[in-house]
Amino acid sequence: MLALDTQKEIAQLLSRYPIKRNALLPILHVVQKGNEGYLTPELLEEVAGICEVSQTHVEGVISFYTMYKLEKPGKFHLQVCTCVPCCLVGGEELLEHVEQQLDTHAGHTADDGVFSVEEVECLGACSYAPAVIINEDYHEQMNPEKLDRLMDELRTQGQAHA
Amino acid sequence: MLEETLILFRNIRNPDYDKSLKGYKKAGGLKALKQALEMQPDEIVQLTKDSGLRGRGGAGFPTGLKWSFMAKDTGKPTYLVCNADESEPGTCKDRELMLHDPHQFLEGMMISCLAIGCRHGYIYVRGEYWPSIKSLNAALQELYDDGILGKKLLGKGPKLDLTVHPGAGAYICGEETALLDSIEGKRGHPRVKPPFPAVSGFNACPTTVNNVETLTCLPFIVNEGAEAFKAFGPENNAGPHLISLSGHVNKPGVYEVRLDANLKDIIYDFGGGIPNGKQLKGVIPGGASSSVLTADEIDVTYSFDALAQAGTMMGSAAIMVFDEDTDVVKLLHRIVRFFSHESCGQCTPCREGTHWARMIIRDFLNGNGNEHKLKRLHRVGGNMMGTTVCALGDACGMPIQSFTTKFADEFRDVQALAA
Amino acid sequence: MPVFHLDGQPVEFEPGEKVLSAALRAGVEVPHYCFHPGLSVVATCRMCLVDVVDMGNGRPMPKLQTSCSMDAVEGMKVETKNTKTLEAREDVMEFLLINHPLDCPICDQSGECVLQDYSFEHGTGKSEMEYAKRVYGWRDVGTFVALERNRCIHCTRCDRFTREVTGTNEFGMYNRGHELTVDTYADRPMTNKFQGNMADICPVGAITDKEFRFKRRVWRLKKTPSICTGCSTGCNVTIEYDKNEVFRLKPRENPAVNRWWMCDEGRLSYHVMNERENRIMKPRGRVQGELQPISFEQAYQALAERIAALNPGVGGALVLTDTNASNEALFMLRKLAQDGLGAEQVFCPMPDWQQPDSDFFIDSLITTDKTSNRAGARELGLTGVADTAELKTTLETNPRVVIVLGNPFEHATELREKISKTQLIVAISPLFNGWTELADVVLPGQLHSEQDATYTNKQRRVQRTHIAVQAPRQTRPEWQILAELLLALDKDAGLDSADAVLQALGQAVPTFEGLSLSRFSEAGVLLPGEANDPGRSVVDTRTAAA
Repeated sequence: MLALDTQKEIAQLLSRYPIKRNALLPILHVVQKGNEGYLTPELLEEVAGICEVSQTHVEGVISFYTMYKLEKPGKFHLQVCTCVPCCLVGGEELLEHVEQQLDTHAGHTADDGVFSVEEVECLGACSYAPAVIINEDYHEQMNPEKLDRLMDELRTQGQAHA
Repeated sequence: MLEETLILFRNIRNPDYDKSLKGYKKAGGLKALKQALEMQPDEIVQLTKDSGLRGRGGAGFPTGLKWSFMAKDTGKPTYLVCNADESEPGTCKDRELMLHDPHQFLEGMMISCLAIGCRHGYIYVRGEYWPSIKSLNAALQELYDDGILGKKLLGKGPKLDLTVHPGAGAYICGEETALLDSIEGKRGHPRVKPPFPAVSGFNACPTTVNNVETLTCLPFIVNEGAEAFKAFGPENNAGPHLISLSGHVNKPGVYEVRLDANLKDIIYDFGGGIPNGKQLKGVIPGGASSSVLTADEIDVTYSFDALAQAGTMMGSAAIMVFDEDTDVVKLLHRIVRFFSHESCGQCTPCREGTHWARMIIRDFLNGNGNEHKLKRLHRVGGNMMGTTVCALGDACGMPIQSFTTKFADEFRDVQALAA
Repeated sequence: MPVFHLDGQPVEFEPGEKVLSAALRAGVEVPHYCFHPGLSVVATCRMCLVDVVDMGNGRPMPKLQTSCSMDAVEGMKVETKNTKTLEAREDVMEFLLINHPLDCPICDQSGECVLQDYSFEHGTGKSEMEYAKRVYGWRDVGTFVALERNRCIHCTRCDRFTREVTGTNEFGMYNRGHELTVDTYADRPMTNKFQGNMADICPVGAITDKEFRFKRRVWRLKKTPSICTGCSTGCNVTIEYDKNEVFRLKPRENPAVNRWWMCDEGRLSYHVMNERENRIMKPRGRVQGELQPISFEQAYQALAERIAALNPGVGGALVLTDTNASNEALFMLRKLAQDGLGAEQVFCPMPDWQQPDSDFFIDSLITTDKTSNRAGARELGLTGVADTAELKTTLETNPRVVIVLGNPFEHATELREKISKTQLIVAISPLFNGWTELADVVLPGQLHSEQDATYTNKQRRVQRTHIAVQAPRQTRPEWQILAELLLALDKDAGLDSADAVLQALGQAVPTFEGLSLSRFSEAGVLLPGEANDPGRSVVDTRTAAA
């Protein structure tokens, strides 16, 4: 069962489109956000009902887009870009550094669920490369030192909340 | 020394600019919208045609002409969908406009809605751009609160609603028909054309899809007139243009230029040259899908037409610069990996070809390349071109063919090194 | 009609028609995978690329065009066999094969695989792919079909089928790019009742028919056009058989009846065509309480004697049939009743039935009337349900002779109870049933797959069958049995072939006038006039589901 706030947000989204299916992508975002950043089969079924589409349709959609997750990400989800412009100025090295620091591989969660790392294609911050997204925020012109400092802060934050 | 034209970036370059609605109004904003409200839709279309404005998304199609294709009297609603799915590697210009001067863009969007009779416009922003989405939503809230949007545009015009629609991570949704599938709540597969969106677009209704930068040009055109806009840039390449400069330059960034600037000057004047005193090896002049230019090919005017003549394209005006130490095989691998990751998979040549090409390049990276594989790679790239529903096949084929032609020796070196 | 040129030959087209459709209609084979006339055009397999050398305005199209999505235009010139197109086809074939497992020896699609055919016709005969291929596991996706995704060429016909034809959308595309695949949601099997069509439209061995797979190599199968007798829709089918054994039914295109489709239940109806255990192999007569094998001649002679002795006349004879019998059988039965026995009426069950109505055409194929010739029986004026007043009145006169064709009133136990006391019961049927147990004489009929016959479907469209497989030697078509009975009763009608019976039917019943098996359209013949079946009601499946 979706939280009341999520339901309200969904109702608001539905009011912005001519047909319910149109709101599928934004609704999935809202539902995912309300469930610690990932989707479950039960949630997919619920969303299918709301948008009046089949469950296969919803599953086909989430498998097409990279931002919908079926596994629980870390409290802080790092997307490290290694596409062309970022790669030219150290994106790969940045990813390697993160993997080393967290002793994990891209695509996994580390540090008791505080961080998860993902290697991603172009994030659209090419003139400010290399770029990293942490949850919803862009961190640009990154280097290993800057990222370490940032992650230290987040780790303290994350543990304080936990 | 090249200098920026400050039309679209007029406010953004002003350190004291307040991007709120109040600040935008103070900077002279919404004047054009008021004026457009006094005009007939056809007049706005004609004005845009006269201005010579060409789409800033990559294809460079004349905007006014595109609007004039909208099917009329269909009994269905018409839609304007703004393509803010900025995702061509190297491109990050639209996000500047959305993040730092959302109201200028939204004013352009509102004017365009008037031009094509749209009552509910959608802004399809790529999902990763949460900061831009928040910025736009905050700006839209101001417009609703101020009674500008809603039941009566500016309190006296037709009903107009605008909605920000987040994507969810798919480059292909920057292709306008894939974008329409996506906003309809489906997988983003490019559609076979015809029918074009102007006849059957969003929910099978007449739809125009325009890029953020394209729409942002509208307030200036309405305020200053078509001739003033045309005066920026050479014949057939009218108006200010935002370029995204990245890679091995001292001052990467988004710059506003006239399309009579020289590519070399852009790199050396705006970009401040190559870092660490290194030599330039090559430039990808118009996003990852454009053909590469070698260091001795960059003395070229940066315009739609001049770049086409030089055998490449301006695309989304994303200039990626790489220096002498760059491993071009690795660079091409990154480019092809991107397209292979982003192919929707529906068309045979692109689904199979992008992956196959990637495998072959990986052989070169691992020192398993040879002359035969180089030829094959070139051929696979060519077989993807012109044989798919959308342009992604070409987008992957062009860099493959240009890299394997212009830097063939480096592919051979890789194999020599390994041997 | 406007004309365009295909490889130099003029081809007529309907305005709005695509180049590929027009070409196929004109008999020019342009290779294609994703195009299917019953589905939307996606133009993604890229196999049907053609060279438009003149758009009708003197100018060529710069790039090759997919003929499935290209509007035909007056004066257009299209090349389908020039070097440019042939090379493009080779390239597409190369791309399609790099990840295909090439497991033809163990693939049941072999022999009817479009990938195989086009590789033979348009491939280069070699592959330069030297990397690991995509590998997926086998998937159980439905009761009727199996999915082997490694063989998939991503034409998405199956995806479009469940989205556009059944509207169930429980099957679709997953992932993207190189990893694009088709599947069902969360391992759940499909629920639609038309899955077999997905195996039909799959151009390769990715979706195969579970019923048929590994039973017989397809090139051994012989094919005969027929109809499905599983319900009153009468979907047009092809009976596919080898060595007198039927292996499957495939839908045969008929735009006015079933388009390209049929239901899974109908497909399974081939089982009865191979039935031997419950099949009546020769005539039988009751001797000292036991049914014993006899010859047709013995049966006719005995019947002629018994009937003469019982002298039934009006009220003395009762004639029953189900509505699965052919038009010819029903007509001859009516003749026997009236001319041979002096009975006024032939009774058959006519229960109310429902015709589904929905947004999806295919749903309309499955009616609740599971008989094949109700409309034919109505044309012949045969009526009645188990408890009609007439049938009751006839029963009260204690008929002495009862003739039963097929298995009517199967569940009317009271009726059966009463009739069991009759002096002479004759059952005519290809299969044993409740009536054959009661009968004094059992005459073995034939199935629709074994005879030339016509049936009238729910639309009042008369459709024919052909002899596909040979019936057991000592069985005869029902019309013939009835004709021979009339002869034995000295009332010979002089009808010695199914065609002669149909023509006689045309003289007796005006709506059938002019029909003849020797010149019968495979698309069927719609009878003139209105249907007017009071037992028919339309069920809106849209509201019924809600």
